[in-house]
Amino acid sequence: MSLLRVRNLHTRFATDRGDVRAVNGVSFDLEEGEILGLVGESGSGKSVTALSIMRLVPEPPGRISADSLAFDGRELLALSEAEMREERGSSMAMIFQDPMRSLNPVLTIGRQMTEVLRRHQKLDGAAAKRRAIELLETVGIPSAEKRLGAYPHQFSGGMRQRVMIAIALSCNPRLLIADEATTALDVTIQAQIVDLVKRLTRERGTSVIWISHDLGVVAGLCDKVNVMYAGNVVESGPIRELFHRPSHGYTLGLMGSTPRVDGTGVRRLTPIEGMPPSLIEPIPLCPFLPRCRVSIPACQTVSPERRDFGSDHWARCLADLKPGDRAP
Amino acid sequence: MWSYLGRRLIQVPLVLLVVSLMTFAITRATPGDPVTIMLGMQTSPEAAKAMREEFNLDRTLPEQYGLWIGKVLTGDLGRSMRLNDPVTTLIAERLPISLQLAFAGMLFALVVSIPLGVIAALRRNSWIDYFCTGYTVMGFALPNFGLALILIYVFSIKLDWLPITGIGSSEAEQGGLWKHYSPFIIPAVALGSLQTAMLTRLLRSSMIDVLSQDYMRTARAKGLLPSTIVIVHALKNAMIPFVTMAAVQFGYMIGVQVTIEYIFAVPGMGSAVLNAVVNRDFPVIQGFTLVIAVFFLLMNILADMMYALLDPRIRY
Amino acid sequence: MPSKMTDTRTRPLQFRGSLALAVQQFPRNRAATVGFVILFAICFAAAFAPWVAPYDPIQIKLSMKLKPPSFEHLMGTDHFGRDVFSRMLWGGRTSLSVGLLVVGFAFMLGVPLGLASGYFGGKVDNALMRLVDAFLTFPPLLLAVALVGLLGPDIKNVMLALGLVQAPILARMVRGSTLAVREDVYVTAARALGASPLRIVLSHLLRNMVSPIVVQLTVVFAAAVVSEASLSFLGFGTQPPAPSWGRDMSEARRFLADAPWMFLAPTSIIAVCVLSINFMGDGLRDALDPRAWRTRRSVGADA
Repeated sequence: MSLLRVRNLHTRFATDRGDVRAVNGVSFDLEEGEILGLVGESGSGKSVTALSIMRLVPEPPGRISADSLAFDGRELLALSEAEMREERGSSMAMIFQDPMRSLNPVLTIGRQMTEVLRRHQKLDGAAAKRRAIELLETVGIPSAEKRLGAYPHQFSGGMRQRVMIAIALSCNPRLLIADEATTALDVTIQAQIVDLVKRLTRERGTSVIWISHDLGVVAGLCDKVNVMYAGNVVESGPIRELFHRPSHGYTLGLMGSTPRVDGTGVRRLTPIEGMPPSLIEPIPLCPFLPRCRVSIPACQTVSPERRDFGSDHWARCLADLKPGDRAP
Repeated sequence: MWSYLGRRLIQVPLVLLVVSLMTFAITRATPGDPVTIMLGMQTSPEAAKAMREEFNLDRTLPEQYGLWIGKVLTGDLGRSMRLNDPVTTLIAERLPISLQLAFAGMLFALVVSIPLGVIAALRRNSWIDYFCTGYTVMGFALPNFGLALILIYVFSIKLDWLPITGIGSSEAEQGGLWKHYSPFIIPAVALGSLQTAMLTRLLRSSMIDVLSQDYMRTARAKGLLPSTIVIVHALKNAMIPFVTMAAVQFGYMIGVQVTIEYIFAVPGMGSAVLNAVVNRDFPVIQGFTLVIAVFFLLMNILADMMYALLDPRIRY
Repeated sequence: MPSKMTDTRTRPLQFRGSLALAVQQFPRNRAATVGFVILFAICFAAAFAPWVAPYDPIQIKLSMKLKPPSFEHLMGTDHFGRDVFSRMLWGGRTSLSVGLLVVGFAFMLGVPLGLASGYFGGKVDNALMRLVDAFLTFPPLLLAVALVGLLGPDIKNVMLALGLVQAPILARMVRGSTLAVREDVYVTAARALGASPLRIVLSHLLRNMVSPIVVQLTVVFAAAVVSEASLSFLGFGTQPPAPSWGRDMSEARRFLADAPWMFLAPTSIIAVCVLSINFMGDGLRDALDPRAWRTRRSVGADA
């Protein structure tokens, strides 16, 4: 049984112009110990998907619905808010993009760490403190004991994110969600953080959902990738498969606009022209159609269904893309 | 931080100097001879001359100022022309009462503004939020003496629950808790009305701002209890500007008290200045104003200090 | 539907603080419009009090004293038998005209001060701000009481006192805006083109500070009306038997139990005035600040 089973997740926001369908029928599974990448541009619905799983979406104006949103066999949408609070921070944890803004500036790091331990693991003050020091050392922060009394603004960006990771992993969650966790960091620090996450989660068997718009980072970290566009998953598959044979116009576009270190020919980077569609109107055909460079005549009339390519790789695309195809 | 504090403290004497000059200028600019007012038109020229000499009114203006400032620096604020007591004694009598009243007003303001501001921010567009907005709007619109009259009419005259006079009276001193403190209630509420409005509005908007910050999302993602989230994470941030403003407002209150002291016959600083103005009692006007200004300045500095102390980003 | 979307996206970029656009925007805010209408009505009635008021406000008629509100006397009579409603109207003349005078005086004193301070900076700025600080250290009411009490209850003195109290706040604010706007690129550009300093100041800076200045002036107006009432209440402003809101409230104290309408009328009218001014000010602020224009944005998909 998968750790996380998402079936037909819909998240809408009520606005004065109509309902915005931020997540529009997303389904996927996440196994124990698996690292899943969620890739897409701003507005694709990847963050909202994550927030919906944690039920951190403000309702109103948001509304989450799904055929099934099962975590460890339990339907999350059936839980009360108090029950959800027990899960958050203990069995499921999340880290966010900007660690400076995600940490409370007037509370010490120690405080922000021990409060989770005291809340979920019922540790007393001294035990929580000891555990916090251990955790800081695990994420590679020197002089951990002294650091407990420091404030977020006294740390560097990379260190702050390490603290966030320490906080997230402190109660040994089954699931860790990282929402653009390295986007705000320097490139060299990014690599360190990614390595840290990989190591720690592999050690503990934690499942990870890694959200990013950066294919490069995803390639180095994830086992499986879901490519999202306009609130839908448009392609999904093991990382090698995806890179070997991108099977959706959008995925192709993403790869074409990402610099590749393997030097496959000296090619110009091709950005994806146009803007994402409005999420208010229901979209009858393929949502990527207006910007797609590999569309075929059938795309104008038929809505693409799921096409399977074996080994758990599928895409919602009518164009028959072959391995090695490039966007024209 | 201490260097900042040092710099602020250095500014104090400068500002006070200007304040003293201004007070002096105002009092001396008045038409009408204080001596004649004090002693009456029929007084003998000798008595008038003696008084003039005693209060240095026969010297030139710069001399008068210099003499006064000199004495001030040694702690001597002169004597009241009317009552013949040293000004410092009068201040010692009246300042505690004014402080008590200001304190009571501030207490009322805090008791109302903190819950109201927090709840209004948490439950936006609920009836509490609308009530809060309405309350603050009224607080700004209704002058404190107007509110005082309304409260007197409702609570003292019609309902007879609360007394009107009695602050600082001997009867109050000797009576029980109620006798002692009940006279403060209506004046405190009236006095604190503007402050309550300001502080509520400030806390509400501060909280709304804080609640939308990223670190609040992190706090929720940790599964913390709502009370922890609001009090430890949100309020601690929102209180910083609040505490600062509360300190400044407290300093302000002593000056604002005048109308309230007048209505309720409170023997405080404000009414003393009022009487002194009518009587052209220069030393009292100068001395009292100086003290009030000093108090206000000190509260301002205290407010700055508190801001620095409460916000770790400034402290380190 | 599509036309509505393009509407908000392609709204032409207007020069900040453009008055014409503000006038267009203002009526959208209902509270502000109501405030404006009420204020206008009060001002109008007050200005034309000699014709609008049903009775002579200072004529004593002891046989009619302390009568509750009735058809003949809309707000009742006071302890001298005078019609309270008429006194309200006439009192408005004093209070509102003082308010406007104070606004003018504070403007003429505070704005140049703030501009000079902000534009020239350095020693000038320091000196002027020390002066402003000193003024602000005075409890405003006490300062006004001292000035009016000592100089005499002339309307000139009241205006002077209240104006002196309000000007520093305005100056501070103008200074702040000036400092902000001064750094704007286009001022440097104008300088590069050879525009003289005075010209820069007047045309560029002022035009962009219209919004905060206008809003602050409404605050000054409200504060002045209340201060005038406070002064009169304490006995320092308008002298009897001239009608005055503050003064009437003071006299009403003796008759609180028997004739509550005596204090309710002036109290309410002051509150209504201040409320109207505040609402109007809020409306003006929203109308004049292009950033406050609500562009219809849907909640972001990526939270």
